[in-house]
Amino acid sequence: MSEQLPQTDYLDPEVLQKLGDLELIAREVVEGLRVGSHRSQLRGFSTEFAHHRQYAPGDALRTIDWRVFGRTDRYYTKLYEAETNFDCHVLLDASSSMNYASGKVSKLEYAKYLAASLAYMVLKQRDSVGLSIFDSEVREYLPPRSTMSIILQIDQLLRDIKPVPRSSIAKQLHDIALLMKRRSFVVVISDLLSDADDILAGLDHLRFDGHNVVVLHTLDPYELEFPFKGAWCFEGLEEEEPLTTQADRIREDYLANFNTWLETLRNGCMASQVDYTTVDTSLPLDKVLSEFFFERQATMNGGRS
Amino acid sequence: MTFLNPLLLLAGLGVALPILAHLLNRHRVKYTPWAAMQFLNRNVRVRSRQLRLRDLLLLCLRCFALLFLIAALARPAWRDGIASWIPGEPRAGFVIGLDASFSMEHGGEDASRFRRALVQVEVISEHIQPGDPVSLILLGGEDEVVIRNMAFDRERFRDILQKAKAAPVGLDLDRVPKRLKELAEDMEAHQKEVYFITDVQSRDWRQSSARFQEALADLRNSAEVFLVPVPGDSANLAVTDLDLISGVLRKGTIARYQATVKNYGTDPVANVEVQCRVEGVQIDSKTIPLVTAGGSETVSLFVPFHNAGPTRITAEITGDLLPTDNVRRVMAVVRDRVSVLCVDGSDGDAGRLIMAALLARGDGAQDEDYVVRSVPWLSLPTQKLDDVDVIVLADVPVVTPEQVEQLSRHVRQGNGLVWFAGENVKASVWNERSASGTNPLLPATLGPPVDTSTTQGAGRPLDPSMPDHSVCHPLRSLPEDLFSETRFLIRMDVTPTPSSFPILSLAGSGAPILLEHSLGRGHVFMFTTSAETSWNNMALTPVFPMLMQQIVTYLAGREFEQPRVVGDSLSLSYVEQPDASDAVFDTPSGETITVPVQKHRNQFVALLENSREAGFYVARVSVQAPGMPVAVNVDHRESDVTSLTASELMTNLEGTDVTVANSEADLAAAIETTRTGRSSWRQFMIAGLVLLLIESLFADRLRKRKRASSKQPAPAHMPEALAGAQDA
Repeated sequence: MSEQLPQTDYLDPEVLQKLGDLELIAREVVEGLRVGSHRSQLRGFSTEFAHHRQYAPGDALRTIDWRVFGRTDRYYTKLYEAETNFDCHVLLDASSSMNYASGKVSKLEYAKYLAASLAYMVLKQRDSVGLSIFDSEVREYLPPRSTMSIILQIDQLLRDIKPVPRSSIAKQLHDIALLMKRRSFVVVISDLLSDADDILAGLDHLRFDGHNVVVLHTLDPYELEFPFKGAWCFEGLEEEEPLTTQADRIREDYLANFNTWLETLRNGCMASQVDYTTVDTSLPLDKVLSEFFFERQATMNGGRS
Repeated sequence: MTFLNPLLLLAGLGVALPILAHLLNRHRVKYTPWAAMQFLNRNVRVRSRQLRLRDLLLLCLRCFALLFLIAALARPAWRDGIASWIPGEPRAGFVIGLDASFSMEHGGEDASRFRRALVQVEVISEHIQPGDPVSLILLGGEDEVVIRNMAFDRERFRDILQKAKAAPVGLDLDRVPKRLKELAEDMEAHQKEVYFITDVQSRDWRQSSARFQEALADLRNSAEVFLVPVPGDSANLAVTDLDLISGVLRKGTIARYQATVKNYGTDPVANVEVQCRVEGVQIDSKTIPLVTAGGSETVSLFVPFHNAGPTRITAEITGDLLPTDNVRRVMAVVRDRVSVLCVDGSDGDAGRLIMAALLARGDGAQDEDYVVRSVPWLSLPTQKLDDVDVIVLADVPVVTPEQVEQLSRHVRQGNGLVWFAGENVKASVWNERSASGTNPLLPATLGPPVDTSTTQGAGRPLDPSMPDHSVCHPLRSLPEDLFSETRFLIRMDVTPTPSSFPILSLAGSGAPILLEHSLGRGHVFMFTTSAETSWNNMALTPVFPMLMQQIVTYLAGREFEQPRVVGDSLSLSYVEQPDASDAVFDTPSGETITVPVQKHRNQFVALLENSREAGFYVARVSVQAPGMPVAVNVDHRESDVTSLTASELMTNLEGTDVTVANSEADLAAAIETTRTGRSSWRQFMIAGLVLLLIESLFADRLRKRKRASSKQPAPAHMPEALAGAQDA
């Protein structure tokens, strides 16, 4: 699938880091994506019919109301609730574990760029975007709004927050779910380094409340590959007990366990109709978002009615 | 402790590298913050500040295994008394020098000294371990290295020993320590043992030089040296000479040969029968009534020549404990006819007196096979010389350069020339034309005549001490007073050339009267006096005819008639380049040896170096050509088989630190005593391999245990937080 996407590698996270200005970063990412063509990807899906509009070239053929055509000999498309009312809510994990960085850009910084880019994209569509930041509890909650200033607020909030270890993501998801009044498009940006069942329970709550949920599972490449060799002392960021070990001896086991856990999360999300994407923080943001949108498009085209 | 390959020990330094790397790496633990702690296997835990005992043990096993293997390859050895608890084997390298001169055959076939020496070699070989380096050399003549640095294999060694035999050669004792030392230095062994088995002949050992003593002491620095004497009694008879005394070697004549038998023993021997054989057929036999201890006796053997051509003649005795020296051989080329041309340049009787001496008959008659002609010197250019065997120039005044060339060629072809001085001889012309250059015709340059008379006006006699030349043999049988009757009044003062040889000299002054040199394949005799009675009375005494006839016989002979001694080279020479590029020599044992013809100065020569056998060789200019026999005899000096006594031997070896083993028991005891070294390379090799085996088994078990302990069941949802279980 990735071979069909355009090459947009120049938005390397380390390069973006040098830009400094989060709004600028977000604009660079989004503009580089040709957002217009993805306008519809961030819309949710809903079965509630809202109203018709006249068919315009480019509209999906499946949205044409054939009964109306039969009556009127004219083409009209159906519009659903989600296409008219769109709130995007970004849930950003700012716990200690998100501070890990094998390179120059930590998971948290990468998540910040992702959050800002997504916010920018939504705002350009003249939709609303909100933000929640959590670690051991919900630290900040910004209700959805449709102004660019939220990006600055995201930046300011993340500067001020001091990451602390968290015990459970599910509780925060539950708490955030209670805060969201209307159905939204929820994007969870986290490393999800917690109990898989716990996480899936939290996501299920959001789905139960009618939200469209997307999980951008943000992980460092070292967490994905575990390239350590020799004697290492691993110091847990979530206040776990340090472990001194021969890394090459435990690599095989680590990868087996880690991939099993990933698979569990992926399958769980699929079962709960949650869009799941693993995000490697060494990859360029635009590439990550392009792939995400492409997969989402494929899902929407092949999927639900 | 010593090492045979000490440089290999440097490889042991490499063991330090993995140890160093292991130590450095063990202490270098890196730190990192980590988020995904729940996926790490806490069962695999390492104490960062301590080496793991098991890894240390494995490291030690590997290092020690490597060190043992390197030490094994370096071939360690110990002396007895040092680290005796370390196991080892008594190993050594062996050099066995076996005297193979013909005196070792003394004693009869089964009880010969050589047979006893082989028994001693067997005793020595019982102390040799399979795989030890061994060299065996048969000493005598050119010396033959039969085995060089061979890994000892008992069966193979026995087979080689069975084929060893003595040779008809003498022993050069001075060379023995050097040859043995060369072989000892050629082998690699911690301890080396050199055995010299010999019959300790008195004639060699009594005359042993200081150089031999030094060389023996030097050999001792390289190895333990054992001398194993195999002496025998001294009883031995040998035919030491067989010489042509008189007669011309012509078909239809009888020649007189004289055989000499010497008794080297300490007891007289009676009734020694000497048989004369011609071409293997006994034609004469004489019995010597008694040969005293240490004395020699001669017998005359008369050999009739019924046929022309090369003739093999032997004189033999039998019933001796050493057969090798019981035969003496000569070869005679019997001619159909002998032709002598006398060129007379004198104004007096010189030519006539020479003719008379040559014919040795009152009437001067000739027979058809022995032609003696006299011509005036001016008619020399008209003479055909092809059929002439000997040319006599008597008082010839001058020669032309062409005549000198003609005469030189004549002599080079194997013929003879006899030159007499005289009043008419113009010395300066002769010197200019014939006595100069690299190969002069005459053996001396001429000076003016010299008065050799005494103050009383009498001539001077000949010096009775004559060289061992065949022309002198008949003169030795003359009574002394008869011999001394020959007196010389005048002689020419001559300067001999470096290649000439004086045969007869004046008593007192030693001035040469008769000189000889060889030119090509022939010879030139030069009398510094005339045959004229005004110069001397030689022609009036029996000396002159005996001398002349002997000279003619000698000159009419061929190079092949001179017997050789074993070890001499045999040569065939040609004036002109032969058609065949190789000459052929057939040995007495029937072997055929091909030798290339090479140019040497103005002739072509085929040379067989080192005749190894006693007997008749046959030399042929090509494979198809008829052969010419050459007699090869043993060197009779080796016939003195008397051995040193034990005390004499010990005196001789004083200061050399050589161990003498007089019996088998002595030899075995001496070997046991001196074999002090132990080689431990096998033990080290085994130890190294065992340690490697233990290490691999131990490491393998550890690996399996680690795999078993590090495996965890795959979690359904998420792995439980693992307890930090300590390693065992």
